[in-house]
Amino acid sequence: MTRRFILLFILLIAAARLVAGQSAPVPNIPRMPDRKPRFDGVWAGPAFIHVVGPNDTDTPRVTSFDRSKMAPFLPGAEAKFFRKPTGDLRNDDPTALCLPDGHPREALAPYSQQIVQTPDMVVILYEFMHFFRVIPIGKPHPADVELTFMGDAVANWDGDTLVIDTIGLREWTLSASNLWHSDALHTIERLKHIDPTTVSYEITIDDPKIFTRPWSQTFQMKLHPTWSLLEQVCEENNRCQGGNCTPSDSQKPK
Amino acid sequence: MISMTRLRRLFILTWTLQLAAVAAVAHHAYTAEFDATRPIKLSGVLTKVEWSNPHIWLYLDVKDDKGNVTNWGFSASPPGMLQRRGITKNSLKVGEVLTISGHRAKDGSNNASGNVVTFADGRDALIGQDQALNPTEARPGAGKKQ
Repeated sequence: MTRRFILLFILLIAAARLVAGQSAPVPNIPRMPDRKPRFDGVWAGPAFIHVVGPNDTDTPRVTSFDRSKMAPFLPGAEAKFFRKPTGDLRNDDPTALCLPDGHPREALAPYSQQIVQTPDMVVILYEFMHFFRVIPIGKPHPADVELTFMGDAVANWDGDTLVIDTIGLREWTLSASNLWHSDALHTIERLKHIDPTTVSYEITIDDPKIFTRPWSQTFQMKLHPTWSLLEQVCEENNRCQGGNCTPSDSQKPK
Repeated sequence: MISMTRLRRLFILTWTLQLAAVAAVAHHAYTAEFDATRPIKLSGVLTKVEWSNPHIWLYLDVKDDKGNVTNWGFSASPPGMLQRRGITKNSLKVGEVLTISGHRAKDGSNNASGNVVTFADGRDALIGQDQALNPTEARPGAGKKQ
């Protein structure tokens, strides 16, 4: 009778953990000395197809948010979110002028990103335009945050999930395809290993000036052990900037 | 006899094409620079490769029916994206005959996007920023940007 009671108790605990989302730790994932999951390395982010080919190749593709995942819009907010093209690149797509893409668009860029982790912070280095985020773990946001392209990010652990909370984002493009968020955007990113080289990347978009409630979409990231960050300089050879092409030497009259 | 290097390059390019059938990669507003309603496909001799950011450029000497030669420029993916797909600058040799398809520049110049390159031996590879929409695209009909 006692053994039956103990077994029932264990089953109830397990069920409660499952309900609470505290599933069993993924085995064999890399861990820090303090046993927290380790995310160090160069990753193909959400904007890759994650099929690893010969010589550790992967295929990038332009990636945006899925309309079906989005919450309903506030009255009048849909037109602010889906801006109509005007012919002015500052409105149509500021990155065409080599302006920053900002967070969270940077995370969805079809370029690699490197994570450097210590017990106190996570640093994400983005290949596209060389942006970065230095994210302290276990600290609050500053009391007075300036609005910037990348915002102010802090992280915390929820079991084996790294949770990154970002505020302080200026009104800017949310992703490719000319979607615009407001200056009230707040994002929550949840990174968790699915296996030793694959991470689930869930991002919650909380924009109380655009949507009636927060909404989330989940992507994946794939670790590429042989990759290193490449140089990406937008201005290097931008021959058709703003729609006006400049000829190459080889096209000039000989 | 095909060398191992050439065989490996052939395999990588074929594999890449299969994977990237609907991939669209561009660093920014494709539709600001190129006219998606004006497709173009030209063959010629590769005269120059600019393997640099934000996009590589390929230049072809294209001969018309009267024998006049015009140099056309094609803007393709950034070097890093191509490298990650297994295409390096050594995959493209000045002097070889290529066929490149894409869309003409909006400004009417002899420039275009370079989407698919076909080599003289029939191999082809996606090198560019086509207009295929990502299935997760939020707004059908939106320009391809990044």
